[in-house]
Amino acid sequence: MPRENMTQWDDKLYQKVDRYNLVPNLDECLQCGKCTGNCPVAALHPSYNPRQIVHDILLGEVDRVLQSEEIWRCLWCANCYRVCPVDIHYPLLMMQLRYLALENGYGLKYVTPINKYAYRSLECGLTFVPGQKGIDKIKGLREGIGVDPWPKVSKKAIHEYGEIFKQTGAYDWMKALDEVQAKGEEKPVTLTFLGGRLVDERYDTEEGS
Amino acid sequence: MSAMTQKRVVKPQERIPEIPEKIFLFRSCTGSMEYPGTENCVEYVLKKLGIEVIKDPDQSCCSGYILTCSGHIAEPSLAVTARNLALVEQRYGLDTYVFCNGCFGYNKELKHIIDHHPEYKKMCNDLIAQWGYHYEGKSTVYHVQELYYLLLDRIKENVVRPLTGLRVAAHYGCHYLAQQYGILDEGDLPTFHEEIYTALGATPVFYKERRMCCGYAVGRGFTHPENVVQPHLAKKFDSAKEEGVDIMTTTCPGCNVALDREQPKLAKRGFGPYDIPVVDLGQLIALAFGAPIESIGFNANSTSVDPILKKLGLGKGDK
Repeated sequence: MPRENMTQWDDKLYQKVDRYNLVPNLDECLQCGKCTGNCPVAALHPSYNPRQIVHDILLGEVDRVLQSEEIWRCLWCANCYRVCPVDIHYPLLMMQLRYLALENGYGLKYVTPINKYAYRSLECGLTFVPGQKGIDKIKGLREGIGVDPWPKVSKKAIHEYGEIFKQTGAYDWMKALDEVQAKGEEKPVTLTFLGGRLVDERYDTEEGS
Repeated sequence: MSAMTQKRVVKPQERIPEIPEKIFLFRSCTGSMEYPGTENCVEYVLKKLGIEVIKDPDQSCCSGYILTCSGHIAEPSLAVTARNLALVEQRYGLDTYVFCNGCFGYNKELKHIIDHHPEYKKMCNDLIAQWGYHYEGKSTVYHVQELYYLLLDRIKENVVRPLTGLRVAAHYGCHYLAQQYGILDEGDLPTFHEEIYTALGATPVFYKERRMCCGYAVGRGFTHPENVVQPHLAKKFDSAKEEGVDIMTTTCPGCNVALDREQPKLAKRGFGPYDIPVVDLGQLIALAFGAPIESIGFNANSTSVDPILKKLGLGKGDK
């Protein structure tokens, strides 16, 4: 999508994104591109460009950033942060950018599948508890090596873990995301950062880029 | 947050000034479920190294990157971290050791945020006070691999089953090396795992994409498994295969899941086949320390470890 077509601008986008005040130095960005050079996702898909995303947040290109599919591609490896000469914590920026996108109805399809595990974690105090078949397999494996069939997590831990989710509003947030999706109000995301370097065709599976 | 005031890379003796006699071991969900042998081996190795391990069933999940980074708000994660660390400091007064880079990065980074933002510290303490917890931040978060490296001499003394001729490659994991301060090696060219392999009698192998992310975090199951995660992993394994890697180790059950469980899926898509078993570093050390094979829990792996055991003369039928 050519940049000229984007008409919705928001000067306060940076403040809106950084709601937890975790990336207060974003405007120190030198646009040096080391983040992009070290990014494993950018190496595969030139349309994903951390430097460009920082640039667009600072300029306030709301639409382009929030509705982009790219912001859901980050693997959270933090190599961008590791090499940043001014210590911008890009992963925390990405995290908060995703919150804002979700609030605006974008990208729910990437998050709601994880809700299943989140709800289970409230019952077990453990994340990534699989279904019954998986649980049986785990119990078998654990007994096979001579430890308790299930990791010991006390009722107290499970109760407090669940209460923390309820009392901080995380539970309501998860429910709200599910509801928006059930009503079919989710907005579609698109590839918005097109163009860039050539990539190795063997690994390229993306259509239309 | 922005000004880096602490040294990024430190020596193990600076990182852990006193060898602890007793540690609190923070259990990992993935480590206890997907690869139960990991937790078992970490305990076995620490015991052999002369360190007492304390665990507590009141410890909950660290709440994980998956929940926060993929769009669940950050407050519960801050509070859960404060709760777990408050539990350790109040009940035991020990430092917290984790065996998962995910738990490590998560606890350490969130601890950093809580310690540097008084408003978040207050929010957490107000919330967890109802169960009698109070977070002060006295329990430092360490990874057990730091202890392994610090106690390299003790590791050498305990090897009874040298892994001679085994070509081992490292996967360090981003959430250890991409830390803000206080880690053991430079993120671009870390070597301390290789030093541990040498101590075990194995041959360390350097491959081109050794610093490449496992692709697990949020991507593997949910966002873009086909067009990001799988080609990304294929790149990593292509370069490992080129160097003739026998086995790869991780220090993170999350990375282990991504690297091990994705291999059959990669093969289905026409990448590879790679057949490079991926195990935890603790499991490899336990193997060299002579732990009974069945207690190491290699049977949880999707990519079989049997060819490696056979190579070492430890396969079925060998003694």
